[in-house]
Amino acid sequence: MHFVYGLALLAAVLVAAPYFAHRLRRRRGEERVFAAARLVPPAPPRARRRSKLEDRALFGTRALAVVGLAVLGASPLVRCSRLALQRPGGASVAIALVVDDSMSMRALSSGTTRFDRAKEGARQLLASTREGDAVAIVLAGAPARVALAATTDLGAARAAVDALVQSDRGTDLDGAIGMSHALIAQLPQVDRRVVVLSDLADGHPDGPPIGEGTEIPTWVALPELREPAADCGILGADRLGPRVRVRIACSHDATALGREVTLLDGDRVVARAAAPSGESGETTLMLAEPADGGPPAAQADSLQAHLTGTDAIAADDTAPVVIEAGPGSIAVVADSVDELAVTGGAPVVEQALAALELDVAVRPIPALPDRSEDLAPFAGAILDDPPGFTPEERRALGSFLEGGGVVLLALGPRAAAAPLGASLDPIVPHAVVWGPTPVPGVDPATSAGVLAESATSLQDVAAKSRVTLAPEDVGNFEPLLKWKDGPLFVAKRSVGRGEAWIVTLPFAIDASDLPLRPAFLALLDAWAAEARARAAPRRTDVGVPVVYDGPVARVVPPLLGTYTVSVDSKRELRVASLVARELDLRPRGAAPAAGGAGLGDSHAAIDISSSIALLLLGLTVVEMTLRLRARTRAVAET
Amino acid sequence: MAEGVYAGSHRSARRGAGVEFGGHRAYTPGDDLRWLDRRSLLLHDRLLVRQFETETDRALRLVVDATTSMGYRGTGAPGAKLAFSALVSAALARVAVSSGDPVGLTYFGGGPNSRSLPVSGGREAFERILGSLEAAEAGGDARADASVLERALAIIARSARRGSIVVVLSDLLDLPEVAADRVSAIATRGRVLVVVQVLDPDEVSLPFEGTVRLRSLEGDVVVETDVEATRARYLAALAELTSEWDRALAARGARFVRAVTTDDPVRIVREIVQAAR
Repeated sequence: MHFVYGLALLAAVLVAAPYFAHRLRRRRGEERVFAAARLVPPAPPRARRRSKLEDRALFGTRALAVVGLAVLGASPLVRCSRLALQRPGGASVAIALVVDDSMSMRALSSGTTRFDRAKEGARQLLASTREGDAVAIVLAGAPARVALAATTDLGAARAAVDALVQSDRGTDLDGAIGMSHALIAQLPQVDRRVVVLSDLADGHPDGPPIGEGTEIPTWVALPELREPAADCGILGADRLGPRVRVRIACSHDATALGREVTLLDGDRVVARAAAPSGESGETTLMLAEPADGGPPAAQADSLQAHLTGTDAIAADDTAPVVIEAGPGSIAVVADSVDELAVTGGAPVVEQALAALELDVAVRPIPALPDRSEDLAPFAGAILDDPPGFTPEERRALGSFLEGGGVVLLALGPRAAAAPLGASLDPIVPHAVVWGPTPVPGVDPATSAGVLAESATSLQDVAAKSRVTLAPEDVGNFEPLLKWKDGPLFVAKRSVGRGEAWIVTLPFAIDASDLPLRPAFLALLDAWAAEARARAAPRRTDVGVPVVYDGPVARVVPPLLGTYTVSVDSKRELRVASLVARELDLRPRGAAPAAGGAGLGDSHAAIDISSSIALLLLGLTVVEMTLRLRARTRAVAET
Repeated sequence: MAEGVYAGSHRSARRGAGVEFGGHRAYTPGDDLRWLDRRSLLLHDRLLVRQFETETDRALRLVVDATTSMGYRGTGAPGAKLAFSALVSAALARVAVSSGDPVGLTYFGGGPNSRSLPVSGGREAFERILGSLEAAEAGGDARADASVLERALAIIARSARRGSIVVVLSDLLDLPEVAADRVSAIATRGRVLVVVQVLDPDEVSLPFEGTVRLRSLEGDVVVETDVEATRARYLAALAELTSEWDRALAARGARFVRAVTTDDPVRIVREIVQAAR
């Protein structure tokens, strides 16, 4: 038996002895029969009377002092569940705290989230640091970030820990640990450690164990964070017309069986369906007109998909419903004479768009607007053989493309014969040439992407003439289809955040039979889909940076939900979606060496001597004050 | 013992209706208004009753408290309080019989052998009283059952005639709160009442030491006390109780005598006889 324990037992006996002595002295008196007992006034025994409290406040003060001394004596034996650094060599240490702020850390454990527990663990570790220790803090939510560069300012470290907030990001443990190594590798402290405060659920349960083969010792603390948990979440909810498609995934071996998917317009449930029974799946819900005369759910723009029931993480049970194809209309600028069909009616391109039955309005306009505001309502613009653009038109078109607009430019004889001062910039900066077509038809082998299947219908497209781009411009375009002799037939290029597509034939039937070919409809359909997709909210994984050109270079959505980004006065709606692998709550393994032996202690002793000393000092002051008051009172009574 | 008491001291005389003026005393409710001194009332505004001495037979009514508390006997006492009361009662009966006065015996409380006796005279009556007193045993709780006292007093009030001498022997410790008024009421209607408080030596000194738990014999009272700290207050309470009885009895013209079981019974009998005159 350790000497301290013997000493503690002795102290316990000394503490208990007065109590038992008191109990012995308080024994009941001998019982006697006495006829006149009624006349005898009761009186407590002398021992009890002697211990009668004359000054309860003074007694309380002294009792507290005794208790404080007892606690002080017992403190070396008391250990509590808290993290602390071990110092085998006694020297200063450099520690890098890897705090996981990913979505999986939202899982509840004993009534608190894993992230809060990790944060508390970081505070406990900082409480065990001393002057001279260096601390760095790295966040393991993807992408890994440095929350605090290595510093010996422990106050700054505590403030940094207090400022940590939970996010819905994915997990990048390897990146965070690598970053931690880099932060403390060059520090002068000989004793360097990485402390990982994470559930290790990064979606790679079969990955290499954490802390294996690292130069700097790694301690994976808080094993309670790695307790198994089950969770299901909504990966995305997309709406196309009245149909809403909700994708659901669950953690390993968990299902959403028995739960429901509901669509909420505010607090109103507008549709519901059973959740898929597998680990992942999809549920389609139809928005119906409400029977109570309320607003049509199909027009609601604030729909939320909700997964009923409870699981480990509640935050991923709700997701905004994103419209797959955005609203807006397509502007068509075509020559009113040349483009007319012989059979009458609208120009061929408009008829083709109508035949596609797109969920957008087609608005023919006589000329390209020369103000950017006039182009803003359109998701895209089709320009059929324009005779070049005036400077005002170029500026408006450039602004439209920079803001994310999509343009389909059909090049023809008028484009090649642009008047002085007009050009096709910013889509085709150099002049184009309208000349005879040496080889009819396109080469289907050169087709790519959306035109791959329909390219065969253009193998023998009849066109006497075609437009040829200047060699300087050809490299700017990504070819989608080429003529048989090599020049571009259909191509596209990015301009700012927008996209410009070109066709080297005009859409006039007199110029070619392109509008009569099925590939023409495929081309318009693909282009319109691109335009609508760009007008719709963009979906990105939460935590993944979105890069823009211009003053706002980088936007990182840290939480699930919708974001409105304003760039150059143009508002853009973005949706941050759940990272699917965050639903896999299975932890990665930890190397045996990462158990913390020699690095830290999960059940540390508490040094409360300073607090007790302050308490005793305060009690002494209180006792002196009470004695002084009692003496003053006695003098006054005398 | 009785021989030494009644020789030359017993007077078969009572104040009340008669020929020879015997003095005044204060009026008490229940007195015969014929003997109210109207002259004194007119002159001095005081209610006084004129008394006369007359030679007559005086019945002696012995009322003995035989409740449980009377069975108490302390360590230094020669006998229980009930035994001492029986001894004094027997002596008083002997005195009365020798003077030709009839004697009756009434218990309140007591065991099944405590049998009350009607008033009768002669040696046989004395023998019966003696036998009853010898067989008497303590029992009953006058504090819990007020009827114990009420029944005995009702008999006295109903049967004791004017001129009767009523001697009550009790420790007065466990009687109901109204006992003093009820007992002193016997002193009305020309009856002579003497109340003898019989106490054990323990009860007049509280000789215990240290912390004791005292359990009463009646009323189920248990008191834990430190004797040294409370003895003075106990004696004061006992004195107060005695004083209350003394005041209540004096107001009705009755007498109060205190006796301790260690006292000389002859002296106590003599005091009683003197008080009954």
